[in-house]
Amino acid sequence: MDQHRAATVQHHRPDRGTRIAGLMDAARQGSEDALGEIVTELSPLLWQVARATGLSAGDAEDVLQTAWLRLVAHLGGIHDVAALTGWLVTTTRREAWRVRAAGRRQFPADQETLDELPEPGPGTEEQVVVADEQRELWTAIGRLSARCQELLRIIAFAPRPDYTAVAAALGMPVGSIGPTRGRCLAKLRVLLDGEPGVTR
Amino acid sequence: MTLADADLPSADEPLDDSDFGLLGEIRDMFAAADPMPAELPERIRFFLAFRDLEIEVARLAAEPDELAVAARGTEQSRTITFDSETLTIMIRIDANQDGTVRVDGWLAPSQRREVEMKCTAEPLCVTTDEQGRFAFSRVPRGTAQLVVRPAGLDGAGRSVVTPALIF
Repeated sequence: MDQHRAATVQHHRPDRGTRIAGLMDAARQGSEDALGEIVTELSPLLWQVARATGLSAGDAEDVLQTAWLRLVAHLGGIHDVAALTGWLVTTTRREAWRVRAAGRRQFPADQETLDELPEPGPGTEEQVVVADEQRELWTAIGRLSARCQELLRIIAFAPRPDYTAVAAALGMPVGSIGPTRGRCLAKLRVLLDGEPGVTR
Repeated sequence: MTLADADLPSADEPLDDSDFGLLGEIRDMFAAADPMPAELPERIRFFLAFRDLEIEVARLAAEPDELAVAARGTEQSRTITFDSETLTIMIRIDANQDGTVRVDGWLAPSQRREVEMKCTAEPLCVTTDEQGRFAFSRVPRGTAQLVVRPAGLDGAGRSVVTPALIF
């Protein structure tokens, strides 16, 4: 398994930050192509942010469109790449919760309260197929708190230099992920090892 | 099982390679279990491209099946009609030998307008003649969208956009 893990480590090109910063500059000057490249780069992360709140695929798509539209109006005030990622995560998550709340008002029979924490991952509404080799991980994540499930799911899609900004955007204390491991990942590792207190 | 924080001395350790590996596995798992639709970034790009326009969205008047057939390219020419509040747009799509498509169109009521084909390559722009006719001789296959703008600098009226077409 460790070999598999090593193989799936995400290697970000060292120039990614510089490249995105350049795209941000160009997008501020009105380049549709630069804006489009940022959209392509960060939408997979934002998809997970929206879906982690339990929204349907169609609603998640609308939420992403809204978040990107808001970004265009705010791009002038966002000056570094980590701040961009954090801003987009915050905006997407807020919009997703707003849409969820609006959906619930339309169905008053639904007794869930608005401040309830997100449902764990996908699978709340749709069937999820998890490969056998991922089942152990899936089960272990399912035993974490809803907050930790959301954090890990989203951080996993974030570029490494942006971990701290994303954790902050999710309202998790700095250090929840990066520069330190944080409780969520530490708990997951303990669960995967099946033995409390053992460091993987 | 609940774990007290006291059982988690490793929480304060710096992230190491196995943490990054584990996050990579989590990413792979969710990417497989709940993938973002592959064409979503493209749809968002189109959506953002129209953000400043005061627009009317034209609706497909022909059968959706016909649109799909038009995209196959092996068929003879097909005609698709879009209706908006103020304008009807008809287009005929013919496959070119080189793999691109030719798009001939008519606006009704006939009028001079600028017509832009937003496609995966650089957008193509033409102006209609007085009868409202326009033509794009070579359009790359892929997603495309037509925008009909008021002609000239003092052009009045709203732009009309079609839904995304797949050639």
